[in-house]
Amino acid sequence: MRLLSLLLLVLVLLAPWQAARAQDVEPRDGAIIESVDLSGLSRDSLSPGLRRELETLTGEPLNRERLMEIAARIEGEQPDVVAAVRYVARPDGQARVIFLVARISDDDSLVENINTRYIVESVEIQGIPDADISRSLRDRLQALVGKRLDHDEADELKRLLEAERPGYTVERRISRGSERGRIRVVFEFSEKEGTRWIPFTPSRSKFVYHSEQGWSGALDIPMGGRSHRVTAGFMFSNNDDLVEEYSGVRVAFESRKLATDRLGARIEIARFNDTWREPTLFALAADPAIPEAYRTRLTIEPSVTFAPTPYVRVTGGVSLSELESLMRPPDSQNANAVVTRIDYDQRWYGSRDVTQRVEASYELRTSAEALESDLSYTRHLASLRYRYSQRHNTVIANLAFGGISGNAPLFERFTLGDSTTLRGWNKFDIAPAGGDRVFNSSLEYRYRFVGAFLDAGSVWNNNGEMRFRLSSGFGLQGDNGFLTLAFPLNAEDLNVTFTMGVRF
Amino acid sequence: MTSPVDAQTLTVRAVADALHVRASGLGFISGPVLDRLQDGRSVRVDFDLIVLEKPNGAVVSRAQQSFNLSFDLWEQRFAVTRIGPMPRSISHLTARAAEDWCLDNVTVPVASLGRTGRDTPFWVRVEYRIPERSANAPAEDSTFTLHTLIDVLSRRREDENKAKSVEAGPFRLGN
Repeated sequence: MRLLSLLLLVLVLLAPWQAARAQDVEPRDGAIIESVDLSGLSRDSLSPGLRRELETLTGEPLNRERLMEIAARIEGEQPDVVAAVRYVARPDGQARVIFLVARISDDDSLVENINTRYIVESVEIQGIPDADISRSLRDRLQALVGKRLDHDEADELKRLLEAERPGYTVERRISRGSERGRIRVVFEFSEKEGTRWIPFTPSRSKFVYHSEQGWSGALDIPMGGRSHRVTAGFMFSNNDDLVEEYSGVRVAFESRKLATDRLGARIEIARFNDTWREPTLFALAADPAIPEAYRTRLTIEPSVTFAPTPYVRVTGGVSLSELESLMRPPDSQNANAVVTRIDYDQRWYGSRDVTQRVEASYELRTSAEALESDLSYTRHLASLRYRYSQRHNTVIANLAFGGISGNAPLFERFTLGDSTTLRGWNKFDIAPAGGDRVFNSSLEYRYRFVGAFLDAGSVWNNNGEMRFRLSSGFGLQGDNGFLTLAFPLNAEDLNVTFTMGVRF
Repeated sequence: MTSPVDAQTLTVRAVADALHVRASGLGFISGPVLDRLQDGRSVRVDFDLIVLEKPNGAVVSRAQQSFNLSFDLWEQRFAVTRIGPMPRSISHLTARAAEDWCLDNVTVPVASLGRTGRDTPFWVRVEYRIPERSANAPAEDSTFTLHTLIDVLSRRREDENKAKSVEAGPFRLGN
């Protein structure tokens, strides 16, 4: 930079003051070259051939292409320099040519990137509409045009762009401009996962140990691109979600861009083998109103999702399940329902690394005669989740309500008392066959990976007694792994439950 | 942690008071590094030249040097600058010539070898590393899925590709 400044100064000194006004005017092609100067490099450093070439320019018509070639030859002979050509229009219509030569290592910006010597022809934003960027920032971007690229300024602009559009990552690229010596600067936006109109179904992969319930496992293997994917899923004695313990496979095809980012579709086909804990079988035997247990569950769930805004999604579909009776195989029952769901998911990025996220959903599953369901039921479930993060501190609050009317299959019944709900209680103790009413809440605080939580909730049957349960615990808590000790707060016995596992 | 580079021919020579090394086909200007350069961005390469008593033996002398590479979009040639208190630059190079120029500018003083090389043979190891560029997704989007696990594992493999070494010997000064 120092040398270039010096060269510019030399250029000013070389040009007679009478020509100062004329410098603003580019000489026309074909103007006779009055003189040729070489600045920043001794002519003796050049090969005899190149020196002769420079000398023969005087008196010749101005040919910019030829002069650029000579500049390139100077660079070729002196690889530690860059050369540029400047033209000075003379009042008499002639032209003065100056080869400005700068040593790369004397210029910090050239050391960083050789393309810094080129003039920025245009600055473009790709990936989002220009209008999504504030006017002031767009003005700063356009201020790069017509000058050599200032990397520090460009990096600062990249940072400001990311700050204005926190849902995106920004990459800066440079490419050739429309004419030699010009470059285009492109700031390319790409969406982070959180800003997609329709997200892929979250992975259910986990391996969890519960001291009362044993091991549960699930492994999802997603394959595909940003818009479409296939997920192969495997369940290994999973008893962490439902009253049943199930193993098997599932395959899901998902698209979150059907012509538009706002429309997606999904179909999942699953087949599971079910086993049942003794407390569940006893509870089922004691209450004939609850539908029977099954030994296999085959489910097909096609659905379509529409996102009217980036934060709201509406999903409609059906869930078709064939349940092979545990007691009377190969008899089976169909549990077919229309599924309607609405999701709200929004994040806010504040100053001081504050991130907030609210997720809310409501799902209605109702059997329909048209679907030839053997079990007639309606199931409602509403949930709300709030997450506040500031640097290493995280607070998570959950709230859920649900209710079932009619005869819902066992996989639709609510449970509490596993690795995520009413931690410290065992679901096979509090509601071994699940319930048709549920209320669940939890409050959790984490500092880095250390956390403490308070859970409260109840799961019961409409015709039964509702008992409010509390539990608390602490341990290592992260989004991908946990190791906790939890204990019920209003139980007759103090029974400590140990859970650990990974979710990914 | 470095991974060895295969099929290298390493030669050493003493020029004036410095030991220079040449290696054919280091090939670090390729793949993602080349893509990045052709996108008009710059890439830093850190070299470590180590003289050893024997294979994986004690270090007799070593030199570290970093370089900044960029690709001239209009000349379609590479420019390299040796970073440090006495920067040197060169431009209009092919990829191969740029790699060679980097290595030729990492030297150890012959005097630092002492008797090694003159009385006893020595081995030479060249390590180079391309520091991971700053990036990427924020923590809140780093929810761990199998997909991200594969990404992370892939990235680690890529890192290993970016820190490579080649070792050869025995050499003697005057060879």
